[in-house]
Amino acid sequence: MNEILHNILNMLSYDPSAPMLFTSGLFWALFIIFVPVYALLKRRRWQMMLFVILFSLYFYYKSSGVFFLLLVATSAVDYLISKQIAHTESKLTKRALLIVSVVISTGVLAYFKYANFLLSTWTDIIGGNFQPLDIILPIGISFYTFRSISYVVDVYRGKISPAENWIEYLFFLSFFPALLAGPIVRADVLLPQIRENRQADRHEIYIGLWLIIIGVVKKAVFADYIAQYNNLIFDNPTGYSGFESLMGAIGYTMQIYCDFSGYSDMAIGISSIMGFQLPANFNLPYKSKNLTEFWHRWHISLSTWLRDYIYIPLGGNRKGKFRTYLNNFLTMLIGGLWHGASWKFVFWGAMHGGGLIVHKMCRPWLKEIPDTWPVKAISWLLTMTVVTLLWVFFRADSFADAAAIVVNIFTTFDLAYAAPFFEVRYVWCIMMVLMILTHALPTQWIEQMGEGFVGLPWLFKLVIFVLTVQLVLQFMSADVAPFIYNQF
Amino acid sequence: MKKYLGLWSILTISFVIFFCVSAFGDVDVDFTLRSSGMMSSLMPDSPESESLGDNDDAGDAASPSENEGSAQGEAEAPEADPGEAPLPEEAPVEIPSPASPDGKVILFIGDSMLEGLSPRLAAYAKENGHSLYSVIWYSSTSEIWGETTKVREFINKYRPDFLFICLGANELFVRDIENRRDKYVKNMISQIGSTPYLWIGPPNWKPDTGINRLIAKNTKEGCYFKSDGMHFDRAKDGAHPTRSSAVIWMDSIVRWMPAHSPYSLKLDKPSVNTAKANRVEVIQPGHWRDVVKKRQEKAKNDKKP
Repeated sequence: MNEILHNILNMLSYDPSAPMLFTSGLFWALFIIFVPVYALLKRRRWQMMLFVILFSLYFYYKSSGVFFLLLVATSAVDYLISKQIAHTESKLTKRALLIVSVVISTGVLAYFKYANFLLSTWTDIIGGNFQPLDIILPIGISFYTFRSISYVVDVYRGKISPAENWIEYLFFLSFFPALLAGPIVRADVLLPQIRENRQADRHEIYIGLWLIIIGVVKKAVFADYIAQYNNLIFDNPTGYSGFESLMGAIGYTMQIYCDFSGYSDMAIGISSIMGFQLPANFNLPYKSKNLTEFWHRWHISLSTWLRDYIYIPLGGNRKGKFRTYLNNFLTMLIGGLWHGASWKFVFWGAMHGGGLIVHKMCRPWLKEIPDTWPVKAISWLLTMTVVTLLWVFFRADSFADAAAIVVNIFTTFDLAYAAPFFEVRYVWCIMMVLMILTHALPTQWIEQMGEGFVGLPWLFKLVIFVLTVQLVLQFMSADVAPFIYNQF
Repeated sequence: MKKYLGLWSILTISFVIFFCVSAFGDVDVDFTLRSSGMMSSLMPDSPESESLGDNDDAGDAASPSENEGSAQGEAEAPEADPGEAPLPEEAPVEIPSPASPDGKVILFIGDSMLEGLSPRLAAYAKENGHSLYSVIWYSSTSEIWGETTKVREFINKYRPDFLFICLGANELFVRDIENRRDKYVKNMISQIGSTPYLWIGPPNWKPDTGINRLIAKNTKEGCYFKSDGMHFDRAKDGAHPTRSSAVIWMDSIVRWMPAHSPYSLKLDKPSVNTAKANRVEVIQPGHWRDVVKKRQEKAKNDKKP
């Protein structure tokens, strides 16, 4: 009995190798406890907020240990500064306070995420030995830092009024569904809902469950299974033929979508169950026929954040063509660096920036071309080729590995590998085809499936949920794969 | 509260179902119905098996000293210094010839991992006019091979132009491995002598205690292929790669060789997936004890006036 208790305590304590994921049994068990308590406290706003904050901080503690205190400190500092900004008349003081807040937030982020990268780059330049600093990166720091910055900037711009009190702001910043990997929810979306404290209706609760089911299947079935083959390619970049490498690159393209959009679905679903509506973070991005459209459909909360807090302050499209192109490029460069402290992410961002410039430059000419289906097909193929090849740089361990895979694809491609590949990897192929077909489905159908689930009798919902969990177990790999975007 | 009752009961009932079912573990029907393992994660730990399981091709009788230095294992471990083991100078039993004038003789020795790798290498050999001879010593380790003179014996027997070794999977979890196995690995390398070779590292399914590092340290540059870190589809035992995964594994090794191995061996992609080796010799797990015992007895007799 003591040992069982000991195991439970072990499970509940911080383990850096086992962050609490939405797909874990532990989260499921805790959520079963969370739901009735939350439902009981929902009408009492203060008690509900305190309960959710405690749950969120514990959720963060399970993933990042004592760094939950950093989250609390960030919320306290930015809350106080935002209050000062709102109460100060002087524009100069407001501006100074904003700068202080942004410097603190980006400084903390830079220390944890970029210190080693900057130091190693500096050592490379001056020549010498680099000894990495022993820094642990708190999970999700990039997400909540961006949320906090956008809050202070919005208060400065007068777009929103500051949070009524620190508890309200801490609730916003630590809101566990969106804490570790987004979506990067803005204060103007969440704060009014916190104040309104509206009860979730039956439809929202079951749409939430439906989104969780879809998210779990995308992440734990599709992404994790597809990843097994992709990892073979990326772990041994020169070890495979061009055809196999291409399959690995296409596989990763689908894997990162299933992984990240699956997480977003779960986050939005859990929020919906709690009565909070978060905006969609993905809109079938691989349907895009150009890079501009891709960034309107991919990680929407990040791309709109970059647009509102980087691109527009840089001047947006208001200062002539050249500045528009430059602003686009710089925004994507920062977007790339946001994903990770490595030159490969900088390259990935720069290439996307370059692609956006090319598309914008060609737009007047492209408008002249009739929008027939062959043109659409070629546009889609071109877009997906660029996106897929750039994902290789995103995923590979190093720039050299990525280059090796890309060179492999173009120099040793041989269709003779196709037949044995399909024979050996048929489950992988079926999954890829299913995901591609999902993209081909009309959006309306996908929405109707959700509505259909809500309308089902309770017993059918239970059966679907049980079958989903068993499906996950059947496909589960020995090591639980973390969400890719947790690392950012 | 009422609105949440339906959702809460779905979550709770399904949780209870999976928790209770997990008490029975994985269930084999026509396929394996996997359990969540929830209950076992709460229950007191059971000792984890250190070998590859009771599969006839794996660790059913791993060397007694494999099991992290159990008292029994230490007692049964051979005491002779492998560095001093005399190498037999007997003539080869047969001198095989390659399948074509340009072909080479390839010898492939190692543990049960050869079951998956050897058929694929045989397909390569066939395609390129080589002859392949495989020796599978089930449950073998560097200690077993290094304690005996089998490497040299098989080299003398087959006179290979190239030697592949796949060994290490049965000693992933040996404690203090650097001290305990270093001399055996060194002895194996000395038995190989000037024969061109490639040591294929074990396909780790868990982090090892140092066997990969040990092999890498003792082999020449480009003569060790690190399989650790690759991803494998595993057979039911959770350790051996499936046949199809082993095919991909061998393909990766072959593609890796031209850029890294100091020796050249023509291995163009075969048109068939797998083939039969020219000959496969199988040594059963307990054989090494007989070998060591005989040698110790012989050494004793030689000392007698």
